Amino acid sequence: MAAIELRAVTKTYANVVSAVRNVDLTIGDGEFMVFLGPSGCGKSTTLRMIAGLEDITSGDLFVDGVRMNDVDPSKRDLAIVFQNYALYPHMSVRENLAFGLKLRHLERAEIARRIDDISAMLGIGPMLDRRPAQLSGGQRQRVALGRALVREPKAFLLDEPLSNLDAKLRATMRTELIKLHRRLGATMIHVTHDQVEAMTMGERICIMRDGEVVQVGRPLDVYRNPADTFVAGFLATPPMNLLSGRLEAQGDQLFAVTEGFRCALPPAYRQAYASHAGRQVIIGLRPEDFHETPDRAGALGGLPVTLTVTTVEALGPETVLMASLKGDAGPEIAVRVDFDREYEVGARVTLHYDTAQIHIFDVETTKALARPVVPAG
Amino acid sequence: MTMPVVNNAPNRIYVRDRRFGWLLTMPGLALLLLVIAFPVLWALFTSLFEYTLINPGFHTYVGAGNYAKALGDPEFLHSIWVTAMFVVAVVVLEFVLGFLIALMLNDTERGKDLYYAILLCPLLMNPVVVGLIWRMFLHPSLGIVNYLLGRVGIAPVNWLGSVDVAFWTIVMVDIWHQVSFMIVLLLAGLAALPREPYEAARVDGASSLQCFWHITLPLMRPVIVVTLLIRMIFAVKTYDLVYIMTRGGPGVATDFISYFIYRSAFVGLDLGEASAMSGILLVIVVAMTAYLHRSMRAIS
Repeated sequence: MAAIELRAVTKTYANVVSAVRNVDLTIGDGEFMVFLGPSGCGKSTTLRMIAGLEDITSGDLFVDGVRMNDVDPSKRDLAIVFQNYALYPHMSVRENLAFGLKLRHLERAEIARRIDDISAMLGIGPMLDRRPAQLSGGQRQRVALGRALVREPKAFLLDEPLSNLDAKLRATMRTELIKLHRRLGATMIHVTHDQVEAMTMGERICIMRDGEVVQVGRPLDVYRNPADTFVAGFLATPPMNLLSGRLEAQGDQLFAVTEGFRCALPPAYRQAYASHAGRQVIIGLRPEDFHETPDRAGALGGLPVTLTVTTVEALGPETVLMASLKGDAGPEIAVRVDFDREYEVGARVTLHYDTAQIHIFDVETTKALARPVVPAG
Repeated sequence: MTMPVVNNAPNRIYVRDRRFGWLLTMPGLALLLLVIAFPVLWALFTSLFEYTLINPGFHTYVGAGNYAKALGDPEFLHSIWVTAMFVVAVVVLEFVLGFLIALMLNDTERGKDLYYAILLCPLLMNPVVVGLIWRMFLHPSLGIVNYLLGRVGIAPVNWLGSVDVAFWTIVMVDIWHQVSFMIVLLLAGLAALPREPYEAARVDGASSLQCFWHITLPLMRPVIVVTLLIRMIFAVKTYDLVYIMTRGGPGVATDFISYFIYRSAFVGLDLGEASAMSGILLVIVVAMTAYLHRSMRAIS
């Protein structure tokens, strides 16, 4: 296994288009790191630079402390699983698995042993003599994974390997990949634009935007403390509600105010946010921080908020309401409520907001304003 | 009980459209029958008779006699042999050269259009023009080729008059003329290859040569088969170059089957036997075309 380190890694195409800028990142030995971001954010380019399929314009890449910038991909001992699997279409599954091993001149018996082990692990034994065209998407995905595993490389690079699968199979393969990582203890870098994948699979996630790393951290840390409005709006479905507002001081209290919403900030936050009193800010409210009863809205009892329901999305285990804060004219927010209560469009409901969970962002930099950590109610 | 209403309108429209389709097709079909089917059938019919231009007419029916006579004629068999050698030589050399150039062009990023334009120039020229140009270039005493060779101290070569050289001269000129065809088809095939297996192979540890051997060649196989077959069919029918450059000579060194049939018909005046030879050539070309068609269907 291997530790991978990127120091100020930059990728520029034709000296003009900057795809990746100054990425500093260390992926620990045996860690499962997820690169998360929207299309075109540079996550796949970063992965391809690690694999050696793209040249690094500037900066350094180290694998186990050895500089890899100029090392050919064939010599890096990394394995990659591509989004569209990139299986060799003219070879059988067995030949696909054996190809990399034959190139490394392994003994026939050793190749056969490894193929048997991997095919048993991934359940692809019965299809070893089939061609990729004769396999389903899920089977191809397993074979692509098998081709990476059978080489026993230093690290696995997974470039959106689940994105071509249907929702059910994707969920299954997600679990299998997590189990596989636990079993192998291998270093894995997984690229995805799916925040559910990132949250569920990664030990850490690295969120990228426009070629830059925005935030790196454990999934729940990033979820609870998004570094800026981009991360706040990207993670979770529905994402955090971001509302233009201002901070108002009144006596010794500080209020986050927007149309139809006036929230006294918890005492613990007042000092941190005091310097922004009287300024415009962006107020971040997570849909799941609204509760039907005050006792569930944290230690502070919750702030009653009256909403007018505009749409109801009953998802089964939960219901997502789109509701406006001030009659029909106020800003619309998403709130997540229990499934066991029925809501009607147009109804006015009062929910209780857990004020300890409020997020305040600088309106110019869009960065989160630092605050003390208050445990969730 | 209500009976379902049967609507015949779609059927009527279908019949009307079919009739209109046939109406549009008829002139073209009639023209094809006139210029292709009639000559072919006439030649096949003629091949069954002792039909000479001295004594034209279907007076003496010989059945397969002309075919037997042709297949027993050492000169005809020689022309088949020379043609086969020519086909193998040009197809192999054009393929190797064409594939090399296609591989180089496939990796070229700048000036691809210019290369294309230059490469396509010979292919756009009429074979008769090609033959005339090269006959002048290769003239033993006045040609530019011998002049240039002389400038570097090489003795003049009798390109079209020497038994040992003439065949290879025709091969060389054909390569000059037709190699672009190979390049264009193979380049189209290379450009359509997926990029991902190459990247997977590189990460798997394959060198450039191993990528070519294990990825490019197998993936290009269908395109290669079709390209080779099309080129073989055209090479078998080569006539113009020989007619313009050597007239089958010196001796019978370049006496290809098409030219031999022409000579039998219009110099030997034996239209019956020439038609039988044409029938044999037709069988060869149809067999190759059928194989080509099958290969293309397999690809699609």
